[in-house]
Amino acid sequence: MKAFTTLLWLEYRRSWVWGTALIGSLAFWAWGLNQVNVRDIGEQLGIRAGLLGIAAALGGLVLCFMIGRIRSETRQGQYQILLLTPPAGYVHVAARYVFALAVAVLYFVGIGGLAWWIVAQTGLSLDAGTVAQLVLVCPFYGIGGILIPLLSWTLLLMIFVSAYRISGSGWIPGTVMILGSPLVIRWYSDWLIHISYTLPGWRLFEGVRTLIASTSWGAEVDTSGVTALVVPQEPLWGMLLLALVMLVIAGRIWQEVEG
Amino acid sequence: MTQAFLIVMRILVLVLLGYWGYRLWTGTISWTSRGLSALFVGVLAWQVIGGGF
Repeated sequence: MKAFTTLLWLEYRRSWVWGTALIGSLAFWAWGLNQVNVRDIGEQLGIRAGLLGIAAALGGLVLCFMIGRIRSETRQGQYQILLLTPPAGYVHVAARYVFALAVAVLYFVGIGGLAWWIVAQTGLSLDAGTVAQLVLVCPFYGIGGILIPLLSWTLLLMIFVSAYRISGSGWIPGTVMILGSPLVIRWYSDWLIHISYTLPGWRLFEGVRTLIASTSWGAEVDTSGVTALVVPQEPLWGMLLLALVMLVIAGRIWQEVEG
Repeated sequence: MTQAFLIVMRILVLVLLGYWGYRLWTGTISWTSRGLSALFVGVLAWQVIGGGF
């Protein structure tokens, strides 16, 4: 446990600028959202949701760069500090991953908060359950289904490439993994889609139509297409399982190469 | 002509993948990395020969 906390502290020292900049960028996005002054409520919400989508995508990209900075550390010699440390490879991987995940949770819950803010600006007063779904459930579903596997994949890619740094053929494993992964993911996601809704789906935003109708502009909007969102559980569990498998493989490679 | 060209291209890509597979097998001391390499090279080769799942 001491090794883990030490490595987590090391990770914090190494990446706090990235994390702070990323979370701080939410202020920029809030400013950007506030600049959208379109009169039509639907159009306004659409533009703002698009901006939040861009913020989420860029945040994911920054987190991937943050977690995958193993090659640069190798080149600058910082990696040698880790090479001489006795903890298992799994502990190194876990520390790096936990820090990135903590930053991701803060960032995406912040985006959920911004989503609540833009909805509130339209005059729609959400109940506590809907707010919790918007600020917590949606970000965590997105983190679990997309970001966690993406971060695991990035970490595995960089550790896999690092396993070949002695032979100097790092571009071959990188190329093979980048080309092969979409095929594997396609087959895996086809299977996940096939088994979706085998378990009961999670119903979100059930009372939104009633809430829209209660607003001053509710009568002007066609709410016939607004229904509860039923999200399947299986893709989330499947992607979390995939992420865990990738992390275990990454830890194992680290152990074999550095151990 | 086109069919023959495609067959030749596929054989060349398979040869390249075979070479990469050899480099990946001999370029590391990690057996897990070798296994992962075999998986990805196998998936790419399977795609090149037109296999599907």
